[in-house]
Amino acid sequence: MEKTKTVPAFWGKEDWQAIWIGFIIILLACIAVLTKAFDLSAVKFSTWAVGEAAATKAVPLAQQLGAWAFWRKLIVTVIVLGTLFTLGVKLQGQSVKKYIPAFLGLFVIALVVRFVSAEFTLNRYLEWAFWALLIGLLISNTVGVPDWLKPAIKTEFYIKTGLVIMGFSVLFSNIAKFGLYGLGIAWIVTPVVILFMWWLGTKVLKIDNKPLVITLASATSVCGTSAAIATGAASGAKKDDLSIAISISIIFTILMMVFEPMIIKAAGMTQLMGGALIGGTVDSTGAVVLAGNALGPEAEQAAVLVKSIQNILIGFIAFFVAVFFATRVDKSSDKKVGAGEIWNRFPKFILGFFAASLIASFILQPLCGSGSVKEINTVLDQYKNWAFVLAFTSIGLDTNFKEIAKQMQGGKVLWLYVIGQVFNIALTLFAVWFLLSGVVFDIPVLDLYK
Amino acid sequence: MGSGKVKASKVVTIAAVVAILACALWIMANKMGLVAGYDFGAGAYYYTDIPGYEDIFRDDVYKTSVPYWVHVVLFLAWGWLMYRLWIWIDKRK
Repeated sequence: MEKTKTVPAFWGKEDWQAIWIGFIIILLACIAVLTKAFDLSAVKFSTWAVGEAAATKAVPLAQQLGAWAFWRKLIVTVIVLGTLFTLGVKLQGQSVKKYIPAFLGLFVIALVVRFVSAEFTLNRYLEWAFWALLIGLLISNTVGVPDWLKPAIKTEFYIKTGLVIMGFSVLFSNIAKFGLYGLGIAWIVTPVVILFMWWLGTKVLKIDNKPLVITLASATSVCGTSAAIATGAASGAKKDDLSIAISISIIFTILMMVFEPMIIKAAGMTQLMGGALIGGTVDSTGAVVLAGNALGPEAEQAAVLVKSIQNILIGFIAFFVAVFFATRVDKSSDKKVGAGEIWNRFPKFILGFFAASLIASFILQPLCGSGSVKEINTVLDQYKNWAFVLAFTSIGLDTNFKEIAKQMQGGKVLWLYVIGQVFNIALTLFAVWFLLSGVVFDIPVLDLYK
Repeated sequence: MGSGKVKASKVVTIAAVVAILACALWIMANKMGLVAGYDFGAGAYYYTDIPGYEDIFRDDVYKTSVPYWVHVVLFLAWGWLMYRLWIWIDKRK
């Protein structure tokens, strides 16, 4: 039988635990990088390939697994995440004895996910989130999830912790990276697209599932998977909602990465305009860089500048989504919700996400320089990825195919994405023409060769 | 919507899904859209996932004469305006 919770909310509630676990990892990474006293790097597979290793940057598997560094990092990752999550589970009043073997089992599945998603072709087109969902779904819909593994399936706990860690990489200084041009393209368009998709989804297509609508809208207009994870958690989206939003975004990103530069070239658009259009519309950041590169170096940098601004929008949009859902969606009557009730409903981990972003932007970066912050973020990125892989594997293990099919609402969700994305492209194209064509304002000059 | 229209819309949706998936698989099979010098693809969904992102996400590509605080004020003002608009849209039947 589970113990009765007696610990204060700050230590015992999942939302608060995500904050302090996230901050412990951030603090450890800062100490490790700034003092060079120890190496906190988490394990990751380098790209590997079957047959064509010589033609790529792939590192043979035997070489990866034969290196002591791989196993040392694996042990560090298991110890850091295992200890912190187990402590959290204990403070939640649940059985540690059941959690530890379950966590280790889940970690092994997550390791398989990261191994599969490091393969050359799979790594380039499909995110590990996709493989985590797929492998989890395959297990749960075939052999089934054994009872001993179930205590480790804690999707929200891992997602919230990953988001707090990710907050440190959301650097607010990027807001001025492309001046008012970037702000105009990224920040004017993004919320308008979200509102359009909200209106289309809830009022026209009559989709009842509002968390799914806002999660898909954020994925479309901001930056795909990361925005979906943040707004999904902020709006209390169900696991199926997140799976659907991310799967749609991932598949369409592959198409847009290839076809958008082709269409831009055929239309004879300048590199600057084409790159900015790509930065504002293609979801995944990696795809933005590659699609921009297909047009040329100026397009690549313009795409990156616009995407940099979109990346910082994640925190603000997640914050406003959390406030909106706490005050307007999650209420049972038309009565005005009081401040105390809003606070109760508000997902607290968003505060941790925001605090991490502000600390990195306004304290660490000015004090230690952007080089150190980037180095810290390189370490943190892997912990964020591990937390998300654990979360998405948990989602897959906890879902069946029928539930996902039901959530598609007869195809309405797909059409919401398609129409929303077309609107996103049209509006971004207008903003790009207005700001960068030279018709209204001077054309900005990018210094590519410093 | 009549049952005929519902059926037609289902057929169109299924055809669209099949076409989209086939197209994505075709792109992957032909390794389209990749850049030889870059060790990543669409799978690097966030900027810190990109190997060597420090070299790609540079801070010195564009310099603006507009003060930083102007960006912040405009950012917050537009965000507030959009939030109010969201509430207004949501209140409408």
